[in-house]
Amino acid sequence: MNFVCCIKQVPDTADVKIDPETNTLIRSGVESITNPYDLVALQAAIDLKEKYGGSVTAISMGPPQAEQALREALSLGADRVVLLSDRAFAGADTLATSYTLWRAIDKISQDGPVDLVICGKQAIDGDTAQVGPGIAARLGCTQFTYVAEIIKLGDGRATVRRKVEGGSQIISGRLPAVLTVELELAKLKRATLPRLIDSIRAPVEVWDGVAIQADAHRIGLKGSPTWVRRIFSPPAKKGGPQLDAREDARGAVEASVTALFQDGSLALQFLKR
Amino acid sequence: MAKDRKSIEVPELIPDSCIGCQVCAGVCPVGAIEMVEGIAHIDAQTCIGCGKCADICPAGSIKLEKKKRKAGAEKKVKPPGADAISRGIAVFVEVVEGRGADASWELVGKARELAGKLKTRVIAFVVGSEVEEVSREAVAYGADEVYAIDDPLLKTYLSGPYGKAATDLCARVKPEILLIGATPTGRDLSGIVATRLETGLTADCTGLDVDEEKRMLLMTRPTFGGNIMATIFCERHRPQMSTVRPKVFKLPGRDAARIGAIHRVAFEPPAGELPLVEDFIRDAASVGLVDITRFPALIVAGKGACDAESMPMLQQLADLLGGVIACSRPVVESGLLPYERQVGQTGKTVAPKLYVAVGVSGAVQHLVGMQGSEKIVAINSDAHAPIFNVADVGIVGDYKTVTPLLIEELRRKMKGEPGGL
Repeated sequence: MNFVCCIKQVPDTADVKIDPETNTLIRSGVESITNPYDLVALQAAIDLKEKYGGSVTAISMGPPQAEQALREALSLGADRVVLLSDRAFAGADTLATSYTLWRAIDKISQDGPVDLVICGKQAIDGDTAQVGPGIAARLGCTQFTYVAEIIKLGDGRATVRRKVEGGSQIISGRLPAVLTVELELAKLKRATLPRLIDSIRAPVEVWDGVAIQADAHRIGLKGSPTWVRRIFSPPAKKGGPQLDAREDARGAVEASVTALFQDGSLALQFLKR
Repeated sequence: MAKDRKSIEVPELIPDSCIGCQVCAGVCPVGAIEMVEGIAHIDAQTCIGCGKCADICPAGSIKLEKKKRKAGAEKKVKPPGADAISRGIAVFVEVVEGRGADASWELVGKARELAGKLKTRVIAFVVGSEVEEVSREAVAYGADEVYAIDDPLLKTYLSGPYGKAATDLCARVKPEILLIGATPTGRDLSGIVATRLETGLTADCTGLDVDEEKRMLLMTRPTFGGNIMATIFCERHRPQMSTVRPKVFKLPGRDAARIGAIHRVAFEPPAGELPLVEDFIRDAASVGLVDITRFPALIVAGKGACDAESMPMLQQLADLLGGVIACSRPVVESGLLPYERQVGQTGKTVAPKLYVAVGVSGAVQHLVGMQGSEKIVAINSDAHAPIFNVADVGIVGDYKTVTPLLIEELRRKMKGEPGGL
């Protein structure tokens, strides 16, 4: 079985903020991490390889420093890592990203058919969850999103448990397939020391647009239909009356209830019950 | 790859007014902008002249020769929506257990409003098995036309067949906009459809508007974990696709007397073998699962009210108002309440009539999930907590003192003033 994992290096989103004075992004000191969902996808692929044999290839599209995420993948047990890096890839939205990753998967499959592509459910910086389905649509293969468990692989089929509203769905379909995965799918294991050391020295292949035979009009900014028009802090709403209950608690509560139910329809709904 | 440098207009930077905010460096798709001694520096060799930096510069200190840029832009393909081919705002109606999802009807309502601005029609795409009733409902909620694919093969949602059905409907009807609810199913589907149609898709929007002149959909969404909002547009591809969070827009009124055309379209299944749903297991934890989005009142415990002893008190308040207890993320992380009670970016989006925040500080990630609430009451001991900025009524004080008094006062009002106010 050949597994491909798509991973993304993301800013630690908890650190990204807008300066309220200048209304601009504060980026300094924001660390890059590997998207947590993608690490689970990678771990799942490594676990599957141990069970069914085969190889795990991790790919990532990004600037040269995304190599760091791929070295992490190596340390965790990926057999091969490929960085998709080219100035022309920059500015890609989800459509151009899924195209680029698909071209890379196509190239990888020339060395042997890819059975399973595993992606994180979404990346924590954009939260779009669109790239996985995009790759599946381009491959024209089975798509299982929100995968929480891989029950069986074999006879050219995959059986998985998907999280859906109100429960779990057990579903099986033909390989090849693209899975997008939930955090509960796999438990992250630590890198062993020898692997960690090897991962520092191991070569990281770098492919550009030519290497993956990408159409120049379908990658990066040129291949991206969506553009950002502006960014801003979430609108600050002005709050209503603020009543101080630290001294006269009863008075404040009475005043607040009166203020609240000045809205007649609200009073009708909640006080006439 | 040699570029034709002559055709590229490099923006000009006015160093004196640059405030060193780095926003331009952030939006530059090719990394052509570097900060040199606190001032942006544009590398002319790398710049592709897209003008994103000039558009976004908050200080107006990046100038791009607009005239030449416009002339260049006009040479490009005209938006298909501008040539009268792509018309109408389509909504994909999600069918859940034989009924249209509220998230879809909310979008039909919003589509009506946008269609008014664009002077166009609202189209509903209904895909499923035995969906005649849902199709009629779509009209009642505001669709002018319905295109329905009704086939037993579509009884359960499957990515492949639904993706094909929705893509086929778009190819046939050619809407200029396609809206889909950002439910798990909607998010599974939208990526397939956008990729097949090679068009732009913006996920998980919390705001929609249109540029009437350019017939452009302006899609606003939280990004970077809700810390930042971005408005996104899709200029040259149609349909302009967006998934929208449930509960962001109000459920429109239903008018059973509305008239609309319902077109039935035959289903052409995708080639190849379809996946097989072998089983559905209702989560053990979901038996008696509380769907917090369905209650008119929510009593929401935050980090400041995260202790088991206070729960009976909050429950009492919830019972009194016909609501349930919900919470913010720290309360779920502490293990006090289950995940399905969580409101916010990583939890549920809610819009109850009455939202009582108890000890909720009001982090941005929480606020994006509850700002659509009709009335917000906040109880917090910190007078500067951000939750007070969105609260219609704020009470500064210890919730342990305030809540019992609030219960008492509400009881008194209910008894003493039977006719309301």
